[in-house]
Amino acid sequence: MENNKILHSMSAIFTSPDDIMKAAKEIVKAGYTKFDIHTPYPVHGMDGAMKLKRSPLGYFAFALGAVGAMLALLLMWSTMVESYPNNIGGKPLFPLPAFIPVTFEVTVLLASVATVVSMIVIFFRFPNNSHPLHDTPYMKKVSSDKYGAVIESDDPNFDFDNVKEFFTGLGAETVEPIYFDNDELNVKHNIFEPKFITGLTIIAITVSALTYFTLNKLIFMEPFNWMMTQQKLSAQSPSNFFKDGFSMREPVSGTVAKNNMPYLYSDSVDLAEQVMVNPLDVDDKNLNVGKVKYNTYCSPCHDYNGNGQARLNGQFPNPPSLHTDKVRNWKDGRIFHIITVGQNTMPAYAQQLSDEERWQIITYIRALQRAMNATEEDMK
Amino acid sequence: MSNAQDLILYEKKAIPSKIPLIGLALLAIGGGLAGYGFSTDSIRASYSLIIVFMTLFSVGFGALFLVALEYIVNADWSVPFRRITEILAGVLFIVPLVAIPLLINLDEIFTWLNPELVNADKYVKGKTPYLNESFFMIRNIAIFVIMIIFYFLLAGRSFKQDVTKNPKSRKTSAKLSAIFMPLFAISITVVAMDWLMSLEPKWFSTIFGVYYFAGSVLATLSVLTFVVISLKDNGYLSKYINEDHYYNLGGLMFAFTNFWAYIAFSQFLLIWYANIPDETLWYVDRGDGGWFIMSIALIFIRFGIPYLALVTRPSKSNPFRLKIISVWVFLAHIFDLYWVIMPEYTKRTGAEGPVFGLTELSVPLLIVGVLMLVIGLMSKNKNLMTVGDPKFKSSLEFHL
Amino acid sequence: MSIELTHEPSVIEGRPALKTIDASIIKPMNNLPDKRFWAAMGLTLTMLGIGALALGMSFYRGLGLWGVNNPVGWGFAIINFVFWVGIGHAGTLISAILFLFRQKWRTGIARFAEGMTIFAVMTAGIFPLIHVGRPWLAGYLFPYPNQHSLWVNFTSPLLWDVFAVSTYFTVSFVFWYIGLIPDFATMRDRLANSTMVEKVKKTVYSVLSLGWRFSNRHWSHYEMMYLVLAGFATPLVLSVHTIVSFDFAVSIMPGWHTTIFPPYFVAGAVFSGFAMVQNALIIIRKVYDLEYIITLDTLEKMNKIIILTGLMVGYAYGMEFFIAWYSGHEVESFAFVNRAFGPYAWAYWIMVSCNVIAPQFFWIKKLRTNIPFMFIIAVLVNVGMWFERFVITVTSLSRDYLPSSWAYYVPTIYDIGILIGSFGWFFTLLLIFTRTMPVVSIAEVKAVVDGSQPTHHGLEHHSEEGH
Repeated sequence: MENNKILHSMSAIFTSPDDIMKAAKEIVKAGYTKFDIHTPYPVHGMDGAMKLKRSPLGYFAFALGAVGAMLALLLMWSTMVESYPNNIGGKPLFPLPAFIPVTFEVTVLLASVATVVSMIVIFFRFPNNSHPLHDTPYMKKVSSDKYGAVIESDDPNFDFDNVKEFFTGLGAETVEPIYFDNDELNVKHNIFEPKFITGLTIIAITVSALTYFTLNKLIFMEPFNWMMTQQKLSAQSPSNFFKDGFSMREPVSGTVAKNNMPYLYSDSVDLAEQVMVNPLDVDDKNLNVGKVKYNTYCSPCHDYNGNGQARLNGQFPNPPSLHTDKVRNWKDGRIFHIITVGQNTMPAYAQQLSDEERWQIITYIRALQRAMNATEEDMK
Repeated sequence: MSNAQDLILYEKKAIPSKIPLIGLALLAIGGGLAGYGFSTDSIRASYSLIIVFMTLFSVGFGALFLVALEYIVNADWSVPFRRITEILAGVLFIVPLVAIPLLINLDEIFTWLNPELVNADKYVKGKTPYLNESFFMIRNIAIFVIMIIFYFLLAGRSFKQDVTKNPKSRKTSAKLSAIFMPLFAISITVVAMDWLMSLEPKWFSTIFGVYYFAGSVLATLSVLTFVVISLKDNGYLSKYINEDHYYNLGGLMFAFTNFWAYIAFSQFLLIWYANIPDETLWYVDRGDGGWFIMSIALIFIRFGIPYLALVTRPSKSNPFRLKIISVWVFLAHIFDLYWVIMPEYTKRTGAEGPVFGLTELSVPLLIVGVLMLVIGLMSKNKNLMTVGDPKFKSSLEFHL
Repeated sequence: MSIELTHEPSVIEGRPALKTIDASIIKPMNNLPDKRFWAAMGLTLTMLGIGALALGMSFYRGLGLWGVNNPVGWGFAIINFVFWVGIGHAGTLISAILFLFRQKWRTGIARFAEGMTIFAVMTAGIFPLIHVGRPWLAGYLFPYPNQHSLWVNFTSPLLWDVFAVSTYFTVSFVFWYIGLIPDFATMRDRLANSTMVEKVKKTVYSVLSLGWRFSNRHWSHYEMMYLVLAGFATPLVLSVHTIVSFDFAVSIMPGWHTTIFPPYFVAGAVFSGFAMVQNALIIIRKVYDLEYIITLDTLEKMNKIIILTGLMVGYAYGMEFFIAWYSGHEVESFAFVNRAFGPYAWAYWIMVSCNVIAPQFFWIKKLRTNIPFMFIIAVLVNVGMWFERFVITVTSLSRDYLPSSWAYYVPTIYDIGILIGSFGWFFTLLLIFTRTMPVVSIAEVKAVVDGSQPTHHGLEHHSEEGH
């Protein structure tokens, strides 16, 4: 035993698969339990020779797969039935045939990945790069082209010389003891190690810089800016495309907006009076609509009966009465003109009233005028 | 060579004559029941007879397929059983005989033979160039002839090889097998479409041939497994056949169970999802009333239970378990065909739902009877193992 | 023990020493690459650059740059996606399915094929990502908890694809990595601790190997795990392309809605995948002097699988065509007549000649053992399979139920650029792989070299050994 080194095991190198098979069987026969065989690739029948139990990983895989299936079905049930049920194509809320593919995939995913992770973590106890066998001449040979056996020193039957003889007797090419590596054994990891701190700092700076850049700069740059700027023209915005710099264009000359015939006599009330004629019949419908519209739009200034003493009295200049002879003698066209373009303080009502409505109001005004100056005959 | 020449690999022992005799007895009973069925409700009996016909076709077809497959992939492990598979292929000779009683009610079962029903539906009428009596007969006879030719080319050569021990025979058989495969694919598709899919002439499915193929391989494998294990246990085959050989049979049964489920599910999912009445009618017929339970049962009987029974490694190699599972798988195949065929009877005659009576009991009896008879007769004077095959010895040395 | 006539050609030719195997497989990782490598990289990086440019433009200006429009709303993106996913399947088939069937000839090619699978799936995954137009917002596609109870549609095959392809990638990656662990350990142990480069390499390999010690107690679990993974990967690979086929088959489009799509797509995937593997392997084995491991016999066996799957694809074509007539639906029948004689007839006949006719040459032994010839046929198969996806996708969409909606789809330069880029991406990754990792599985090859396993004592002792 070398000074200060603790013995881990005795190792032996063999040169053929038949030799290592025999060695394994002999080791078992001799009663050793804490031993291991190392080969560069799995050798057929070695499990039997070492009397190893069948690996239980198959059962792990089955169980984990079942868990996967249940998780998948639970996910789909909870989203598609419980949380936000939707009628999709008339299929039932829990369409089992349609859920099979996802269930199957999750089953396989969990069964494979979780079993592998279990194998690595539980059965191998990996990662582990500080096992005594690492970095030994034994390991170098065994990972390439030789076959090895080790018997560990804490086996109850272990004796340094006996084991050496035993291995030599089996025809081993080399027999060598393996010691624990003191450097690896007594390592105390200091959390303030310079390399670790430097690494952490670099990561911190990089992540911060990336985050700052992404959230403050990148998402305002094209094309990451949620389509904030678009090629299309928006109203009221300047444009480089058109010579006059406006985005909005005037209507094509000679056209009118739909349902909007222009008023031809806005300059001349006399022409309006001459040309425009009330096209409507004096019937209940027109009178009723006229009445409603008059009461809405005209009554605030002209009052309900047309005499101009309206509820805006005092706040707004009173219009003259509609029942003066002057007004009664005006033709319908003149009144139409006045409603359309306004007169003095009266604003234009062309926006609020369609042509037909204006004629209907005029019909109603005529009725009002007649009412205010009723003759004997009207009373009948 | 080595001192292995002293080893007795196989001792020829004829299958006892009680096997074909029991087969004959079962045939008689089954035939009696079928006859009774014909006299009471001949249409129902005819539909049942199609189950018998298609099951036997499965076994015969599947057997030829397995023989050809072994030659193509140059497999070792299946050589000890190939003779049994070849014997099973002999079922193909019996199959046309089963078809003869079907001629009685052919136009009741195949509604496309009935001019009234054909003219009533424009889709069925459009199929007349394919679904007419003469073309139907011609192509089915042609398929039968081709299969028999390949029986002699593949199985016949193997029988001769026992005597001639000609090693080149394997190579020629491999080439013939390669030619056989495309012909097999077309034939099994046509048979499936003609005898199963056309029972409902309005319906169609491109995967149907594959569906029947998957089921047929399972049928053959299950019969093969059962027969091989039974024969070996009683000393008719080499004592060197071991659990590693069985593991492959079990593994194939497992694989094809999964494959069948995959094909069946694909067909169902696509038709269910698109929900087109022209296609869903077939599944609607199998989803109404009593048939719904049968459909759910099919999933467990043909997939769920065999899957669980065969998933572990020991199950696939243990001879006792394999025998039981084989019986289950074979009965499951018959049940599958029952599920494909009988709803048409329910539809045609307005019956209540699935029917299980003496007529239906005749089905497994007839099938097993024919199989036992075939095994007994076709194995007469033959070696039960392919002693002349150059791989014979190495195949017995096979291990995982 | 066996008679000469049953003698299978050795999986690995000659009877190389185990150390020789180590050396020849690890060599490319230790030497600087030669001119041929840089020339190849130059080509693949150029292709990648073209793709990157086309992609960048597509992101900046929007997907209007692509050719998809009404009625052909699915174009190059899905065609390329299905194509690349299919290529990946050969790898899993070789590693997993051939392992389950105990075909020893897979050992020389399994590692490379698995690598190809991973890169192919990575390439395929690009397309669903980019076809959303703004892939940096792709997180919204995942079922994250939210106040609106907005969830993904689990009944949609496009979502099944997400699960299928990501599971496939994960499991393939795990399978590949597990296979690499012993090889990383071997490479770790070949390095001394002298130079800086060696120290870094050794650290990297130590980390990647997780501390593998070649203990048989570990091999025992490892072998079981490998079997389980192979057992799961097999149905997985079938399910992935099946689910991809569901994208089309669950619809009611004529030419898409046929029940045979799942196995047809799977067979087609294996078909095209093997052709791509064939092409790559022919070059690799020559350039890296691995002809004694990737033997001519292996290549011939792959060609046999190519005929087999090609015939399956041909069977599916026939069935579709027959049932299209048999069903009596005019639109369905028209769809197939249109494929052969309509505006895309040129694509259809390329597909048929490459997929159905070209592989038939492999019936002749002389041709299937001739390397230049098989290389050409494999290229044709790849072309044919790409066109098959094109024909399926585009012909059905361009002419479906309403003649007034018919239109002719033309890909734009950006579509084509991205396709070229996908090849560049795939082959760049593959080239890097060949020089940074062992392209052949060292441990598996050692296990099948003649003389590597203990000799059995034949039938006399069979019952004693209790197998």
